[in-house]
Amino acid sequence: MGIPIPNSKLGLWLFLGTEIMFFTAFIGAYIVLRIGSPGWPTDPKDTHILVLMGGINTFVLIVSSYFVVVAHEAMAKRDFSRARRYLPYTMGLAFVFLGIKSIEYYGKISHDILPSHIAETPTQAINKVDRELEQVVRQRFAVYTDAEAIDVAQPDDLATVSAQLDVFAKSEGGGDDAKSAIHDVALYRKWQNLHQHIVANVSLEKVPVATGPGYLAAREALSEGESLPALEYAEVKAELARLKSDTNYGGFVSAGVLDPHPVLYGNLFASIYFLMTGFHAIHVIVGMLLFARPLLQGNNLNEEWTGWVENSGLYWHFVDLVWIFLFPLLYIA
Amino acid sequence: MAHDDHSAHHVNYLAVFVALCVFTALSVIFDLVSFSNHAITIVLVLAVAVAKALCVMMFFMHLKFEGNWKYVLLAPTTILAIGLPLALVPDIGVAYYTPLAPQAEWKAEMDSLHDSHGQSAGHSDHTGHVEEQAEVGHSDESGDGADHHEESHEAAPAEKAE
Repeated sequence: MGIPIPNSKLGLWLFLGTEIMFFTAFIGAYIVLRIGSPGWPTDPKDTHILVLMGGINTFVLIVSSYFVVVAHEAMAKRDFSRARRYLPYTMGLAFVFLGIKSIEYYGKISHDILPSHIAETPTQAINKVDRELEQVVRQRFAVYTDAEAIDVAQPDDLATVSAQLDVFAKSEGGGDDAKSAIHDVALYRKWQNLHQHIVANVSLEKVPVATGPGYLAAREALSEGESLPALEYAEVKAELARLKSDTNYGGFVSAGVLDPHPVLYGNLFASIYFLMTGFHAIHVIVGMLLFARPLLQGNNLNEEWTGWVENSGLYWHFVDLVWIFLFPLLYIA
Repeated sequence: MAHDDHSAHHVNYLAVFVALCVFTALSVIFDLVSFSNHAITIVLVLAVAVAKALCVMMFFMHLKFEGNWKYVLLAPTTILAIGLPLALVPDIGVAYYTPLAPQAEWKAEMDSLHDSHGQSAGHSDHTGHVEEQAEVGHSDESGDGADHHEESHEAAPAEKAE
Protein backbone atom coordinates (compact mmCIF):
# COMPACT_ATOMS: atom_id res chain seq x y z
CA MET A 1 0.00 0.00 0.00
CA GLY A 2 1.42 3.39 -0.93
CA ILE A 3 4.54 4.31 -2.83
CA PRO A 4 7.45 1.94 -2.06
CA ILE A 5 9.93 4.63 -1.14
CA PRO A 6 10.70 6.22 2.22
CA ASN A 7 8.86 9.40 3.14
CA SER A 8 12.04 11.43 3.05
CA LYS A 9 12.70 10.46 -0.55
CA LEU A 10 9.13 11.25 -1.57
CA GLY A 11 9.34 14.54 0.24
CA LEU A 12 12.55 15.41 -1.51
CA TRP A 13 11.12 14.53 -4.92
CA LEU A 14 8.10 16.75 -4.26
CA PHE A 15 10.50 19.52 -3.33
CA LEU A 16 12.50 18.86 -6.51
CA GLY A 17 9.25 19.19 -8.45
CA THR A 18 8.83 22.69 -7.06
CA GLU A 19 12.46 23.46 -7.77
CA ILE A 20 11.98 22.38 -11.38
CA MET A 21 9.12 24.86 -11.65
CA PHE A 22 11.28 27.51 -9.97
CA PHE A 23 14.10 27.24 -12.48
CA THR A 24 11.97 26.64 -15.54
CA ALA A 25 10.12 29.85 -14.70
CA PHE A 26 13.36 31.82 -14.93
CA ILE A 27 14.64 29.91 -17.92
CA GLY A 28 11.30 30.32 -19.67
CA ALA A 29 11.32 34.03 -18.91
CA TYR A 30 14.85 34.29 -20.29
CA ILE A 31 13.88 32.49 -23.50
CA VAL A 32 10.83 34.67 -24.02
CA LEU A 33 12.63 37.93 -23.23
CA ARG A 34 15.50 37.02 -25.50
CA ILE A 35 13.26 36.09 -28.44
CA GLY A 36 11.55 39.43 -27.98
CA SER A 37 14.78 41.42 -27.96
CA PRO A 38 16.25 41.74 -31.45
CA GLY A 39 19.87 42.79 -31.04
CA TRP A 40 20.54 40.72 -27.92
CA PRO A 41 24.28 40.76 -27.15
CA THR A 42 26.02 37.55 -28.14
CA ASP A 43 29.54 38.80 -28.86
CA PRO A 44 31.89 37.74 -26.03
CA LYS A 45 33.47 41.20 -26.25
CA ASP A 46 30.14 42.59 -25.08
CA THR A 47 29.05 39.89 -22.65
CA HIS A 48 32.45 38.73 -21.36
CA ILE A 49 31.11 35.20 -21.27
CA LEU A 50 33.77 32.52 -21.53
CA VAL A 51 32.45 29.26 -22.95
CA LEU A 52 35.52 27.39 -21.74
CA MET A 53 34.89 28.41 -18.12
CA GLY A 54 31.30 27.30 -18.40
CA GLY A 55 32.35 24.03 -20.00
CA ILE A 56 34.85 23.33 -17.22
CA ASN A 57 32.15 24.09 -14.64
CA THR A 58 29.80 21.68 -16.39
CA PHE A 59 32.46 18.99 -16.28
CA VAL A 60 33.17 19.74 -12.61
CA LEU A 61 29.51 19.30 -11.69
CA ILE A 62 29.18 16.09 -13.70
CA VAL A 63 32.22 14.59 -11.97
CA SER A 64 30.84 15.62 -8.59
CA SER A 65 27.49 14.00 -9.46
CA TYR A 66 29.33 10.82 -10.35
CA PHE A 67 31.21 10.88 -7.05
CA VAL A 68 27.96 11.32 -5.12
CA VAL A 69 26.49 8.29 -6.85
CA VAL A 70 29.59 6.25 -6.02
CA ALA A 71 29.40 7.40 -2.39
CA HIS A 72 25.72 6.47 -2.14
CA GLU A 73 26.27 3.09 -3.77
CA ALA A 74 29.06 2.47 -1.26
CA MET A 75 26.79 3.39 1.63
CA ALA A 76 24.06 1.06 0.35
CA LYS A 77 26.66 -1.73 0.28
CA ARG A 78 27.76 -0.64 3.79
CA ASP A 79 31.25 0.22 2.51
CA PHE A 80 31.44 3.32 4.67
CA SER A 81 35.16 3.95 4.27
CA ARG A 82 34.65 4.25 0.51
CA ALA A 83 31.75 6.63 1.10
CA ARG A 84 33.92 8.66 3.46
CA ARG A 85 36.44 9.01 0.63
CA TYR A 86 34.05 10.09 -2.12
CA LEU A 87 31.90 12.54 -0.19
CA PRO A 88 34.81 14.94 0.41
CA TYR A 89 35.65 14.73 -3.31
CA THR A 90 32.14 15.93 -4.09
CA MET A 91 32.45 18.73 -1.57
CA GLY A 92 35.82 19.74 -2.98
CA LEU A 93 34.46 19.88 -6.52
CA ALA A 94 31.61 22.07 -5.29
CA PHE A 95 34.21 24.50 -4.01
CA VAL A 96 35.97 24.38 -7.39
CA PHE A 97 32.68 25.20 -9.11
CA LEU A 98 32.11 28.20 -6.87
CA GLY A 99 35.71 29.28 -7.37
CA ILE A 100 35.39 29.30 -11.16
CA LYS A 101 32.05 31.07 -10.84
CA SER A 102 33.59 33.79 -8.70
CA ILE A 103 36.35 34.29 -11.27
CA GLU A 104 33.63 34.78 -13.87
CA TYR A 105 31.71 37.15 -11.61
CA TYR A 106 34.86 39.15 -10.93
CA GLY A 107 35.40 39.53 -14.66
CA LYS A 108 31.87 40.82 -15.09
CA ILE A 109 32.06 43.21 -12.14
CA SER A 110 35.42 44.64 -13.19
CA HIS A 111 33.93 45.50 -16.58
CA ASP A 112 30.89 46.96 -14.82
CA ILE A 113 28.59 44.45 -16.49
CA LEU A 114 25.96 44.81 -13.83
CA PRO A 115 22.21 45.44 -14.13
CA SER A 116 21.50 49.18 -14.49
CA HIS A 117 25.20 50.01 -14.94
CA ILE A 118 25.52 49.32 -18.64
CA ALA A 119 25.26 52.00 -21.29
CA GLU A 120 23.06 50.82 -24.15
CA THR A 121 23.66 53.56 -26.72
CA PRO A 122 26.67 55.72 -27.66
CA THR A 123 25.02 58.71 -25.97
CA GLN A 124 24.55 56.79 -22.73
CA ALA A 125 28.17 55.68 -22.97
CA ILE A 126 29.31 59.28 -23.35
CA ASN A 127 27.27 60.33 -20.31
CA LYS A 128 28.73 57.42 -18.36
CA VAL A 129 32.28 58.54 -19.17
CA ASP A 130 31.30 62.04 -18.01
CA ARG A 131 29.94 60.74 -14.69
CA GLU A 132 32.88 58.44 -14.01
CA LEU A 133 35.42 61.14 -14.81
CA GLU A 134 33.61 63.52 -12.47
CA GLN A 135 33.92 60.87 -9.75
CA VAL A 136 37.66 60.63 -10.36
CA VAL A 137 37.98 64.42 -10.04
CA ARG A 138 35.94 64.40 -6.84
CA GLN A 139 38.10 61.63 -5.38
CA ARG A 140 41.27 63.52 -6.24
CA PHE A 141 39.94 66.74 -4.71
CA ALA A 142 38.77 64.92 -1.59
CA VAL A 143 42.39 64.03 -0.85
CA TYR A 144 43.06 67.72 -0.24
CA THR A 145 39.80 68.69 1.42
CA ASP A 146 39.89 65.68 3.77
CA ALA A 147 43.44 66.40 4.82
CA GLU A 148 42.39 70.05 5.19
CA ALA A 149 45.33 71.15 3.11
CA ILE A 150 43.00 73.80 1.72
CA ASP A 151 40.09 75.49 3.41
CA VAL A 152 36.78 75.38 1.57
CA ALA A 153 33.29 75.96 2.87
CA GLN A 154 31.74 73.42 0.50
CA PRO A 155 34.08 70.56 -0.50
CA ASP A 156 31.49 69.33 -3.04
CA ASP A 157 31.67 72.49 -5.10
CA LEU A 158 34.29 71.47 -7.60
CA ALA A 159 34.77 74.91 -9.13
CA THR A 160 35.60 76.54 -5.79
CA VAL A 161 37.86 73.69 -4.72
CA SER A 162 39.68 73.85 -8.01
CA ALA A 163 40.24 77.59 -7.67
CA GLN A 164 41.59 77.13 -4.13
CA LEU A 165 43.78 74.22 -5.25
CA ASP A 166 45.20 76.37 -8.02
CA VAL A 167 46.22 79.03 -5.51
CA PHE A 168 47.55 76.34 -3.17
CA ALA A 169 49.61 74.73 -5.91
CA LYS A 170 51.23 77.96 -6.96
CA SER A 171 51.93 79.14 -3.43
CA GLU A 172 53.47 75.96 -2.02
CA GLY A 173 56.60 76.48 -4.05
CA GLY A 174 57.14 73.07 -5.59
CA GLY A 175 56.42 70.59 -2.81
CA ASP A 176 54.97 67.15 -3.61
CA ASP A 177 51.49 68.29 -2.62
CA ALA A 178 51.69 71.27 -4.93
CA LYS A 179 52.86 69.13 -7.84
CA SER A 180 50.00 66.71 -7.58
CA ALA A 181 47.58 69.60 -7.02
CA ILE A 182 48.65 71.13 -10.34
CA HIS A 183 47.85 67.88 -12.13
CA ASP A 184 44.54 67.45 -10.36
CA VAL A 185 43.49 70.96 -11.34
CA ALA A 186 44.54 70.18 -14.91
CA LEU A 187 42.41 67.04 -14.85
CA TYR A 188 39.48 69.03 -13.48
CA ARG A 189 39.81 71.50 -16.35
CA LYS A 190 39.88 68.67 -18.88
CA TRP A 191 36.76 67.17 -17.34
CA GLN A 192 35.04 70.59 -17.27
CA ASN A 193 35.75 71.02 -20.95
CA LEU A 194 34.41 67.57 -21.79
CA HIS A 195 31.36 68.10 -19.60
CA GLN A 196 30.53 71.42 -21.23
CA HIS A 197 30.81 69.88 -24.68
CA ILE A 198 28.54 67.03 -23.65
CA VAL A 199 25.92 69.33 -22.18
CA ALA A 200 25.98 71.59 -25.23
CA ASN A 201 26.36 68.61 -27.57
CA VAL A 202 29.06 70.22 -29.67
CA SER A 203 32.05 68.60 -31.26
CA LEU A 204 35.19 68.47 -29.10
CA GLU A 205 37.46 68.94 -32.05
CA LYS A 206 35.58 71.37 -34.25
CA VAL A 207 34.27 73.64 -31.47
CA PRO A 208 37.20 74.12 -29.06
CA VAL A 209 35.33 75.91 -26.29
CA ALA A 210 31.72 75.15 -25.42
CA THR A 211 31.17 78.05 -23.09
CA GLY A 212 31.89 81.76 -22.85
CA PRO A 213 31.44 84.74 -25.20
CA GLY A 214 33.22 83.18 -28.18
CA TYR A 215 30.92 80.19 -28.15
CA LEU A 216 27.80 82.28 -27.66
CA ALA A 217 28.83 84.48 -30.56
CA ALA A 218 29.31 81.41 -32.75
CA ARG A 219 25.81 80.28 -31.87
CA GLU A 220 24.40 83.74 -32.60
CA ALA A 221 26.07 83.63 -35.99
CA LEU A 222 24.17 80.50 -37.00
CA SER A 223 21.36 80.87 -39.47
CA GLU A 224 17.97 79.26 -39.01
CA GLY A 225 18.05 75.46 -39.12
CA GLU A 226 21.84 75.40 -38.81
CA SER A 227 23.56 73.94 -35.80
CA LEU A 228 27.11 73.61 -34.61
CA PRO A 229 28.74 70.23 -35.33
CA ALA A 230 27.46 67.65 -32.85
CA LEU A 231 29.56 65.73 -30.38
CA GLU A 232 30.58 62.36 -31.73
CA TYR A 233 31.12 59.14 -29.80
CA ALA A 234 34.50 58.55 -31.43
CA GLU A 235 35.72 61.97 -30.24
CA VAL A 236 34.88 61.14 -26.61
CA LYS A 237 36.66 57.79 -26.93
CA ALA A 238 39.72 59.53 -28.34
CA GLU A 239 39.68 62.20 -25.61
CA LEU A 240 39.43 59.52 -22.93
CA ALA A 241 42.36 57.67 -24.48
CA ARG A 242 44.40 60.88 -24.37
CA LEU A 243 43.50 61.43 -20.71
CA LYS A 244 44.45 57.87 -19.85
CA SER A 245 47.83 58.17 -21.51
CA ASP A 246 48.77 61.34 -19.66
CA THR A 247 51.78 60.69 -17.47
CA ASN A 248 50.49 62.73 -14.56
CA TYR A 249 46.85 61.87 -14.01
CA GLY A 250 46.50 59.01 -16.49
CA GLY A 251 46.73 56.42 -13.74
CA PHE A 252 43.77 57.87 -11.85
CA VAL A 253 41.68 58.12 -14.99
CA SER A 254 42.49 54.55 -16.01
CA ALA A 255 41.55 53.28 -12.57
CA GLY A 256 38.30 55.19 -12.35
CA VAL A 257 36.89 55.29 -15.87
CA LEU A 258 36.12 52.28 -18.04
CA ASP A 259 36.38 52.60 -21.79
CA PRO A 260 32.93 53.36 -23.20
CA HIS A 261 31.26 50.20 -24.46
CA PRO A 262 27.56 50.49 -25.23
CA VAL A 263 25.73 47.18 -25.40
CA LEU A 264 22.13 47.07 -26.56
CA TYR A 265 19.97 45.09 -24.10
CA GLY A 266 23.08 44.84 -21.92
CA ASN A 267 21.20 45.58 -18.70
CA LEU A 268 18.54 42.95 -19.40
CA PHE A 269 21.29 40.46 -20.20
CA ALA A 270 23.21 41.25 -17.00
CA SER A 271 20.05 41.05 -14.91
CA ILE A 272 19.13 37.64 -16.32
CA TYR A 273 22.68 36.32 -16.13
CA PHE A 274 23.18 37.23 -12.48
CA LEU A 275 19.69 36.11 -11.47
CA MET A 276 20.00 32.65 -12.98
CA THR A 277 23.61 31.91 -12.11
CA GLY A 278 23.14 33.53 -8.70
CA PHE A 279 20.16 31.36 -7.79
CA HIS A 280 22.03 28.34 -9.09
CA ALA A 281 25.06 29.23 -6.96
CA ILE A 282 22.80 29.57 -3.90
CA HIS A 283 21.49 26.08 -4.62
CA VAL A 284 25.06 24.82 -4.85
CA ILE A 285 25.78 26.31 -1.43
CA VAL A 286 22.67 24.63 0.01
CA GLY A 287 23.88 21.34 -1.45
CA MET A 288 27.25 21.84 0.21
CA LEU A 289 25.51 22.40 3.55
CA LEU A 290 23.58 19.16 3.01
CA PHE A 291 26.81 17.26 2.44
CA ALA A 292 28.49 18.89 5.43
CA ARG A 293 26.34 16.97 7.91
CA PRO A 294 27.44 13.43 6.92
CA LEU A 295 30.98 14.71 6.44
CA LEU A 296 31.00 16.05 9.99
CA GLN A 297 30.14 12.55 11.25
CA GLY A 298 33.66 11.52 10.32
CA ASN A 299 34.31 7.91 11.24
CA ASN A 300 30.84 7.64 12.79
CA LEU A 301 29.21 7.54 9.36
CA ASN A 302 26.90 4.55 9.46
CA GLU A 303 23.82 3.10 7.76
CA GLU A 304 21.56 5.64 9.46
CA TRP A 305 23.01 8.22 7.11
CA THR A 306 22.31 6.25 3.93
CA GLY A 307 18.95 7.96 3.40
CA TRP A 308 20.43 11.41 4.00
CA VAL A 309 23.24 10.78 1.54
CA GLU A 310 20.80 9.43 -1.04
CA ASN A 311 18.50 12.45 -0.72
CA SER A 312 21.39 14.92 -0.73
CA GLY A 313 22.64 13.14 -3.82
CA LEU A 314 19.26 13.55 -5.50
CA TYR A 315 19.30 17.26 -4.68
CA TRP A 316 22.85 17.51 -6.02
CA HIS A 317 21.88 15.79 -9.24
CA PHE A 318 19.13 18.32 -9.65
CA VAL A 319 21.64 21.16 -9.20
CA ASP A 320 23.75 19.48 -11.90
CA LEU A 321 20.66 19.19 -14.11
CA VAL A 322 19.91 22.90 -13.86
CA TRP A 323 23.46 23.75 -14.83
CA ILE A 324 23.28 21.32 -17.76
CA PHE A 325 20.52 23.53 -19.13
CA LEU A 326 21.94 26.88 -18.02
CA PHE A 327 25.27 26.24 -19.75
CA PRO A 328 23.96 26.03 -23.33
CA LEU A 329 21.31 28.69 -22.78
CA LEU A 330 23.59 31.32 -21.28
CA TYR A 331 27.01 30.47 -22.66
CA ILE A 332 26.44 29.01 -26.10
CA ALA A 333 23.11 30.33 -27.35
CA MET B 1 15.18 2.46 4.75
CA ALA B 2 14.29 -0.01 2.03
CA HIS B 3 16.97 -0.36 -0.60
CA ASP B 4 15.87 -3.45 -2.50
CA ASP B 5 15.49 -1.31 -5.61
CA HIS B 6 19.26 -0.79 -5.78
CA SER B 7 20.28 -4.43 -5.49
CA ALA B 8 17.82 -5.45 -8.23
CA HIS B 9 19.31 -3.18 -10.91
CA HIS B 10 23.01 -2.79 -11.33
CA VAL B 11 23.88 0.41 -13.12
CA ASN B 12 27.30 1.00 -14.60
CA TYR B 13 27.70 4.52 -13.28
CA LEU B 14 31.14 4.91 -14.81
CA ALA B 15 29.73 4.27 -18.28
CA VAL B 16 27.04 6.90 -17.70
CA PHE B 17 29.72 9.33 -16.49
CA VAL B 18 31.81 8.75 -19.61
CA ALA B 19 28.73 9.32 -21.77
CA LEU B 20 28.10 12.61 -19.95
CA CYS B 21 31.69 13.73 -20.55
CA VAL B 22 31.37 12.92 -24.24
CA PHE B 23 28.14 14.92 -24.47
CA THR B 24 29.74 17.90 -22.70
CA ALA B 25 32.71 17.82 -25.06
CA LEU B 26 30.26 17.61 -27.99
CA SER B 27 28.40 20.73 -26.96
CA VAL B 28 31.64 22.70 -26.60
CA ILE B 29 32.74 21.43 -30.04
CA PHE B 30 29.40 22.46 -31.54
CA ASP B 31 29.99 25.94 -30.20
CA LEU B 32 33.55 26.19 -31.52
CA VAL B 33 32.53 24.94 -34.98
CA SER B 34 30.41 27.93 -35.96
CA PHE B 35 27.65 26.79 -38.31
CA SER B 36 26.24 28.93 -41.10
CA ASN B 37 23.12 29.59 -39.07
CA HIS B 38 23.50 30.11 -35.35
CA ALA B 39 20.06 28.55 -34.81
CA ILE B 40 21.55 25.19 -35.84
CA THR B 41 24.11 25.46 -33.05
CA ILE B 42 21.39 26.30 -30.54
CA VAL B 43 19.22 23.35 -31.56
CA LEU B 44 22.13 20.89 -31.50
CA VAL B 45 23.44 22.13 -28.18
CA LEU B 46 19.99 22.00 -26.56
CA ALA B 47 19.50 18.46 -27.92
CA VAL B 48 22.79 17.48 -26.27
CA ALA B 49 21.58 19.13 -23.06
CA VAL B 50 18.38 17.08 -23.13
CA ALA B 51 20.43 13.90 -23.67
CA LYS B 52 22.65 14.76 -20.69
CA ALA B 53 19.63 15.56 -18.56
CA LEU B 54 18.09 12.20 -19.39
CA CYS B 55 21.33 10.41 -18.43
CA VAL B 56 21.43 12.18 -15.06
CA MET B 57 17.72 11.71 -14.37
CA MET B 58 17.40 8.10 -15.51
CA PHE B 59 20.59 6.67 -14.08
CA PHE B 60 22.13 8.95 -11.46
CA MET B 61 18.76 9.86 -9.99
CA HIS B 62 17.61 6.29 -10.57
CA LEU B 63 14.31 7.28 -12.17
CA LYS B 64 14.50 4.49 -14.73
CA PHE B 65 13.90 2.01 -11.96
CA GLU B 66 11.32 3.86 -9.95
CA GLY B 67 7.59 3.34 -10.09
CA ASN B 68 4.87 5.25 -11.89
CA TRP B 69 4.81 7.94 -9.24
CA LYS B 70 7.58 9.65 -11.18
CA TYR B 71 5.06 10.52 -13.92
CA VAL B 72 2.61 11.90 -11.38
CA LEU B 73 5.39 14.19 -10.17
CA LEU B 74 7.03 15.19 -13.41
CA ALA B 75 3.98 15.60 -15.65
CA PRO B 76 2.60 18.77 -13.96
CA THR B 77 6.05 20.31 -13.71
CA THR B 78 6.78 19.59 -17.38
CA ILE B 79 3.43 20.99 -18.45
CA LEU B 80 4.11 24.18 -16.51
CA ALA B 81 7.72 24.35 -17.69
CA ILE B 82 6.72 24.25 -21.35
CA GLY B 83 3.35 25.91 -21.02
CA LEU B 84 4.52 29.09 -19.30
CA PRO B 85 6.98 30.19 -22.00
CA LEU B 86 4.53 29.18 -24.70
CA ALA B 87 1.89 31.33 -23.07
CA LEU B 88 4.24 34.31 -22.86
CA VAL B 89 5.75 34.10 -26.33
CA PRO B 90 2.79 35.74 -28.13
CA ASP B 91 2.93 38.65 -25.69
CA ILE B 92 6.63 39.29 -25.25
CA GLY B 93 8.40 37.12 -27.77
CA VAL B 94 6.63 38.20 -30.93
CA ALA B 95 6.23 41.79 -32.08
CA TYR B 96 3.08 42.54 -34.08
CA TYR B 97 3.85 46.25 -34.03
CA THR B 98 6.89 48.37 -33.29
CA PRO B 99 7.74 47.51 -29.69
CA LEU B 100 7.45 50.31 -27.14
CA ALA B 101 10.69 49.34 -25.39
CA PRO B 102 13.28 52.16 -25.64
CA GLN B 103 15.79 49.64 -26.95
CA ALA B 104 13.72 49.28 -30.09
CA GLU B 105 14.46 52.93 -30.90
CA TRP B 106 18.08 52.63 -29.87
CA LYS B 107 18.69 49.63 -32.12
CA ALA B 108 19.11 51.82 -35.19
CA GLU B 109 21.66 53.99 -33.38
CA MET B 110 23.60 50.93 -32.18
CA ASP B 111 23.52 49.30 -35.61
CA SER B 112 24.98 52.40 -37.22
CA LEU B 113 27.64 52.54 -34.50
CA HIS B 114 28.66 48.96 -35.24
CA ASP B 115 28.63 49.60 -38.97
CA SER B 116 30.77 52.73 -38.79
CA HIS B 117 33.33 51.07 -36.55
CA GLY B 118 33.42 47.88 -38.57
CA GLN B 119 32.33 45.54 -35.75
CA SER B 120 35.34 46.60 -33.69
CA ALA B 121 33.25 48.56 -31.21
CA GLY B 122 33.96 46.09 -28.43
CA HIS B 123 37.33 46.38 -26.71
CA SER B 124 39.13 45.29 -23.61
CA ASP B 125 39.50 48.19 -21.28
CA HIS B 126 43.20 48.09 -20.65
CA THR B 127 44.76 48.39 -24.09
CA GLY B 128 45.42 51.59 -25.96
CA HIS B 129 42.91 52.46 -28.62
CA VAL B 130 45.29 53.24 -31.40
CA GLU B 131 43.04 51.87 -34.12
CA GLU B 132 40.05 53.76 -32.74
CA GLN B 133 41.95 57.06 -32.78
CA ALA B 134 42.73 56.51 -36.45
CA GLU B 135 39.01 56.47 -37.19
CA VAL B 136 38.29 59.68 -35.32
CA GLY B 137 37.64 61.58 -38.53
CA HIS B 138 34.40 59.69 -39.16
CA SER B 139 31.60 61.95 -40.20
CA ASP B 140 28.97 59.43 -41.19
CA GLU B 141 27.27 59.64 -37.82
CA SER B 142 25.38 62.73 -38.90
CA GLY B 143 22.23 60.67 -38.73
CA ASP B 144 22.93 60.17 -35.03
CA GLY B 145 23.40 63.90 -34.49
CA ALA B 146 19.68 64.43 -34.15
CA ASP B 147 19.47 61.66 -31.56
CA HIS B 148 22.41 63.10 -29.64
CA HIS B 149 20.72 66.48 -29.71
CA GLU B 150 17.48 65.25 -28.17
CA GLU B 151 19.04 62.98 -25.61
CA SER B 152 21.63 65.43 -24.37
CA HIS B 153 19.02 68.18 -24.16
CA GLU B 154 17.19 65.88 -21.80
CA ALA B 155 20.44 65.43 -19.92
CA ALA B 156 21.16 69.18 -19.91
CA PRO B 157 18.32 70.33 -17.62
CA ALA B 158 19.21 67.48 -15.28
CA GLU B 159 22.84 68.61 -15.28
CA LYS B 160 21.92 72.25 -14.68
CA ALA B 161 19.58 71.30 -11.86
CA GLU B 162 22.52 69.82 -9.91
